Amino acid sequence: MSASITTQSAAPATSTDEALVSAYSRGEERAASELVRRHVAALGQFLYGAGADRDEVEDLVQETLFRAFRRLDSWQGHGSFRSWILTIGSNLLRDQFRRRKGRQIVSLDQREIPDRADPHADFAARDTEERLREGIAALPRLQREVFLLRAQQGTEYEEIAVTLGTTPGAARVHYHHAVKRLKELIR
Amino acid sequence: MSGCQRISDRMPAVALGRAEWTSDEVQHLSGCPSCQDEWDVVQRSSHLGREIGLGLDADSTSETLLEHLDHARVERLRRRTWSFAGLAAAATIAAVVWIQRPSRPVHPAPAVVAGLQITLPELDGLQPAELDSVLQTIDEPAPADSTLDELEGFLDSWEG
Repeated sequence: MSASITTQSAAPATSTDEALVSAYSRGEERAASELVRRHVAALGQFLYGAGADRDEVEDLVQETLFRAFRRLDSWQGHGSFRSWILTIGSNLLRDQFRRRKGRQIVSLDQREIPDRADPHADFAARDTEERLREGIAALPRLQREVFLLRAQQGTEYEEIAVTLGTTPGAARVHYHHAVKRLKELIR
Repeated sequence: MSGCQRISDRMPAVALGRAEWTSDEVQHLSGCPSCQDEWDVVQRSSHLGREIGLGLDADSTSETLLEHLDHARVERLRRRTWSFAGLAAAATIAAVVWIQRPSRPVHPAPAVVAGLQITLPELDGLQPAELDSVLQTIDEPAPADSTLDELEGFLDSWEG
């Protein structure tokens, strides 16, 4: 009876991630739902940007969240919850790449060419996007994670450093190396 | 901090719509090909996969997640229960085997020698004064770590 009451209690949208994690640890399932609602889109975008196939993103998101929630106690409020789950997603993706022994980015020939008013412009944009994605996926792990945390999430170097266990200065260097490589790629 | 560095630091926030370029920054960007290239990379990357992320259904994702977590919890509990049952069964079998073990004839334990007595019949006939003088010649006991030869020599010298 008491369990059903706790699982029904509200998880206010104004609560911090830390408060929601504590609430979930006490048995409030709605706190988990609120955390998922807050971070699922960023996680999906991050995984796709890091090289996941479009049709695998959903499963990877699910698996990442499952792994994260099974060891919530290892997130101790250092760095943001979002950065933490994105890092777990990145590790999961790396494991997947290893199992496949290399990345499988769809080649230009296999891609669908959209039937639109300006197929050439659309194709060029998609081509640039794919080259960028390939470039990001080919970056060394730290460069990739720092770049995506910074470019997609706007995370500050200080927080990136805490999340990835490095220094803000090193994070900045990783970011600039990544940008330099990607600039050459899409020029 | 150089103009390029400052602009580089501001790019993610502007690309994500959290800030806007100032007129000075716009002027710098328009005249700096390196910053333009970087802006292109950051802007494209910030939008990369955004529609895929937004297309994920948070409700069904959390529902599936909670189901998986419940399932994992039940599975863990089941494994623990079986482990406990296994241990209990093993303990019961061990107890039964112990209780039902065949009784063995009990051999009396060898009597513990409280102290070692060395009889030296040669000394039996001595008077107390003579015995004292013999004992005084044994001023040092044989060292504990003596070799067999040393011990034999010691006994020879003592026995005469």
